[in-house]
Amino acid sequence: MKKKGRGLATIMFGFGYGEGFPDHSIASIEIKADQRIVIKTAAADVGQGVITTVIQIAAEILRIKPDYFEVIQGDTHTTKNSGSTSATRQTYFTGNAVKKAAEDLLANLYHYGSMEFRSNHPEISIKDGEIYLYEEPEYSISYWDLAAKLKDKGITLEAEGSFFPVTYQPDEKGQADKVYVAYTFLSQVIEVEVDTDTGIIDLLNVYTAVDLGKAINPKNVEGQIEGGTVQGLGMAVMEEQVIRNGRTLNAGMSDYLVPTSVDIPKFKHYLIEDQDSEGPFGAKGVGEPTIIAAAPALANAVYDAIGIRFYDLPLNPSKVKKALEEQDNKN
Amino acid sequence: MKQENKQTISGRDFEKYFQVKNLKKALEIKAKYEDQILLIAGATDVLVENYEKLHEIKNWLDLSRVKELKFLEVKEDKLILGPLMTHYELKNSQRLKQKLPLLAKAAAAVGSPQIRAKGTIGGNICTSSPAGDTLSALLALDASFKLQSKIDSRLVKAEDFFLAPKRNGLKDNELLTQIEIPLYPEESLSFWAKIGRRKALVISTLNLALVLYFEQGLIKRAGVAVGSAAPTPIRLREVEELMLGKSLAELNYRELGEEVKKRVSPIDDIRGTKEYRENVVRDTMVNALKSIEKRREGGKNAD
Repeated sequence: MKKKGRGLATIMFGFGYGEGFPDHSIASIEIKADQRIVIKTAAADVGQGVITTVIQIAAEILRIKPDYFEVIQGDTHTTKNSGSTSATRQTYFTGNAVKKAAEDLLANLYHYGSMEFRSNHPEISIKDGEIYLYEEPEYSISYWDLAAKLKDKGITLEAEGSFFPVTYQPDEKGQADKVYVAYTFLSQVIEVEVDTDTGIIDLLNVYTAVDLGKAINPKNVEGQIEGGTVQGLGMAVMEEQVIRNGRTLNAGMSDYLVPTSVDIPKFKHYLIEDQDSEGPFGAKGVGEPTIIAAAPALANAVYDAIGIRFYDLPLNPSKVKKALEEQDNKN
Repeated sequence: MKQENKQTISGRDFEKYFQVKNLKKALEIKAKYEDQILLIAGATDVLVENYEKLHEIKNWLDLSRVKELKFLEVKEDKLILGPLMTHYELKNSQRLKQKLPLLAKAAAAVGSPQIRAKGTIGGNICTSSPAGDTLSALLALDASFKLQSKIDSRLVKAEDFFLAPKRNGLKDNELLTQIEIPLYPEESLSFWAKIGRRKALVISTLNLALVLYFEQGLIKRAGVAVGSAAPTPIRLREVEELMLGKSLAELNYRELGEEVKKRVSPIDDIRGTKEYRENVVRDTMVNALKSIEKRREGGKNAD
């Protein structure tokens, strides 16, 4: 027989290294005469999309299409420290560093622009890669031409930004003013169907609501939610390292199973954009928080379906079937 | 860090690789090399089994180009298959789906689209894994295998073919050249289920095949077989006999489930516990009978 159930879990996640650790990121941006804007950051894009994110942030501040950007990543000759891609921190830390560098560069565009037009900076405007006189827009200069002119004078059109927020180590009672830079909140409802003949849990639907401050790139956020949730559900229903006498019995992908595309549920996302005061455009980190709620929500859904509480993962078919048999024998 | 290449360099990997174009040549080579040659068709089992030790294999006999071993023919009283038919071809064959939907369903459950495209039913049979997905279906359908050598050939019933995990009745000079499945005149309904730890790319924790042939509402013939619940895939003749001559309404499904459970001898392994397999094979048998009952009432042949 197939029994349906629904479960909820809610989590909060303090991101960044936190606890007083000197966590920071440094980035720089240069506008070049050959129509390129180069961002230098050591932030590693391991597939999560930080490169896309920092380009979007810089393009927004610099008022130009993202097409002109390129990113030099993780080269110790040319980039300064951005910290690791971990702790759900790159959008917040490197995003802020890039934003600050872009703001500094924008100020320089106004500065050198006003020199070029022999005008005060309130009289000039900047839009779509052009600096122009507010009253007489036909007088304009492109970023590239300005960069070329400055280069002749030995000036590079560039700026650097860093983000270095303070956190505090908690005291013996676990208390401090600010242990982490900010917190991401996430709630997940999972719907399952448990086959009581086989103990197999079918994953039907996942509804995720996440307060992430601001979705810099909503598609990327959806990718993070789906990827993280599938990893969490893998942990919940199938992933298990089996060790006997010190040897791992399933040290391969044919025995250590992770969900395939046909195992995963349908997703629906709700992005709550309650902007954070310090995040870039109000954004908070969203990577790791997406993995946490899946297993408890699933265990609650299974309880709702068959009335059995499980206290260890994964809820594999053998474990579920055994519990169902015991329940049957009791009744 | 530089990854060490554990493979022996090419050229020292093997001594002989025969890619034959006809069965006659294949049988000659098999007669000469006997157990000193490894057969491949789709290679989906062999390459995984020998991962990182392919260089240890001296001689290969590649059957993938032997066109005469790839066919599906429907005769009056039987369906015959060439062993080179891939799972993909079986799963998509309209004739197979119409005549023997049980086998088409089993073929559809093998591995993944890539594995189904390369892997062959002959390979599934000759690998003789207790978990082979098509094997329980072949057993329940009363299939026979034609085993041919350079000099003669013989027909062996599927239930006599599988001897132990990955061991079968093929002699060193023989090849599997044909699979024969009887087509009975009675109306039939079948059920096939694969129980695994996920929905694709997974080895069966258990599989069960059931086919019932009805004549005037009574069960004239029956086929029950399970995989992954004993050292070989097994046909349960005694359970079949308990159903013969009765109508579905006369059967006690739960008891039949218990009868199946009694006759399996599974082990604890990484895919499931012994206890799990025993209880699930019982409940799956009940489920199979219910499913057939439902379709009989609905008058539908499709599962």
